[in-house]
Amino acid sequence: MRGRWLPASAVCLATTAAAMAHHSAAMFDQDNPIELAGTVREFRYTSPHTFIILEVKEGDGAGKVWMLEGNAPGNLARDGWWQDSLKPGDEIRLTVMPLRSGAPGGSWNATKVKHKNGQPIVAP
Amino acid sequence: MLARGFLISITLAAALSTISTTSQAFDDGKYPNLKGQWTRARAPIVGGTQAPFDPSKPVGRGQQAPLTPEYQAIYEDNLAKQAAGGQGNWQAGRCYPVGMPGVMTLYRAMEIVITPETTYILIDHIRGTARRIYTDGRDWPTQMEPGFDGYSIGKWIDEDGDGHYDVLEIETRFLRNPRAYDPSGLPFHGDGKTVVKERIYLDKADGNLLHNQMTVIDNALTHPWTVLKSYRRERAERPIWLEDICAEGQALIRVGTEEYFLSWDGYLMPVRKGQPPPDLRYSSNPRSNGWRGDWDSGAIN
Repeated sequence: MRGRWLPASAVCLATTAAAMAHHSAAMFDQDNPIELAGTVREFRYTSPHTFIILEVKEGDGAGKVWMLEGNAPGNLARDGWWQDSLKPGDEIRLTVMPLRSGAPGGSWNATKVKHKNGQPIVAP
Repeated sequence: MLARGFLISITLAAALSTISTTSQAFDDGKYPNLKGQWTRARAPIVGGTQAPFDPSKPVGRGQQAPLTPEYQAIYEDNLAKQAAGGQGNWQAGRCYPVGMPGVMTLYRAMEIVITPETTYILIDHIRGTARRIYTDGRDWPTQMEPGFDGYSIGKWIDEDGDGHYDVLEIETRFLRNPRAYDPSGLPFHGDGKTVVKERIYLDKADGNLLHNQMTVIDNALTHPWTVLKSYRRERAERPIWLEDICAEGQALIRVGTEEYFLSWDGYLMPVRKGQPPPDLRYSSNPRSNGWRGDWDSGAIN
C-alpha cells in the first residue's frame, strides 16, 4: 500500500464518469477503484473536465500530487458544484478510478467526494 | 462616416422589421412545448461507466449492434485497444465533436428552439453544437460538404389531427468521419453514407419526458439499427447553461499513435503499464533526462 490510498472495497461505480464521454474511460482502471485522502492544492473548474489537484502524503511523509479528472462544469453545476466548492487547503477523501499505468492520475465522481470529516462537499 | 452610420441604422431597422414580421406570423401554439433544459433520462448503465448508444442494453458487445463481420472485426480490434488503456475508435477524446447520432445521447444538456423554418438543437459538448433541422419544405441539396452533425431536414406531424404538432421527424445525411456511436468505439462505415432518422415526441403521460426514436442506416450494419432514447426536462425555472470548450480542460494528449495523460504540472504520464515514452524522432535535441523519475512505474514526481 502506498501512503494513504487504499483499494475502495466493492464500490459500485456504475454512474462514475457516466455523463463525461468526452473521452473513453478505458485509461482508468474501473474495476479497481481506490480511495485517496489528501489536501486540495487547486480545483480547476474547466470544461470538458474539471480537475482536483490533490496532494497525498506517502508513508514516508513525502507528498505525491494527483491530477484527478471530474465531470464538466455544466453537469456539476446542476448538482451545486461551483468553482469555489473546493478551495486550496481543503482536506478531502474521495474514490478514484486510477490510471492503469499507476501514474498519479485518475477520475472522480462528485457523489464520491467528501470532506475529511465525512461531510458532503455540497449540501444535498 | 455619418453616411455609413446612417446606412447601418437603416439596415438594422430593416432586419428588425423582418424579424418582427416573422415572429408575428409564428403561431407557437401549434408546436409542442419543448422549452427548458433537457438531460438524458437516467437509466442504469450496465457493463461500463459511460452511456452507450442503446440505453436499454449493456455497454460494448452487449449493445448487440448489427455490425457486418468486417466491422465487427474492426470493433473487436478497437475493444482490444481500449482494454489496454487506449481510446480506440472514440475520437472525442481528441476533441473531435461526437457528431450524429452519438451527440443525441446527451452527455451534456440540450435546448430545443423552434422556429417555423428551422428547429435548432443546441448542445454544448466539446464545442457549441447547433444542429439545424430545416422544416421549411426544402429538398436535399445535390452537393453538400459533410459535417459531424450532418445536414438535417425535418417535418412536423400532427398525428392525431387535433391541429397541434405531436412529432418532429428528422432525417440527417452528409455526415463526416471519424465518428463512433458511443465511447466503446462502435464504428460507422468509412464511406460516410450514414443516414439517421429520428422521431422526437413528448410522452403522452408525462409532459416533461421526451422520446427520440432513432434509426441508423449505415453500410457497416446488416440492417437498420433502431434505439429509443429519452430525455428529462430539468425542473429549474432558470437552468444553468455553461460553456464546454474542449481545449480548456483537455488532459488527454496524443503523440503519434500513443495517448498520454497530463500531470498536474503539465508533463506527460503513461496511461497504461509498459507504455513507451513519446517518440521524439523529429527533435534535434532530445532530452534523454527529460523524464522525471521512473517512467515505467509511473512514479513521475
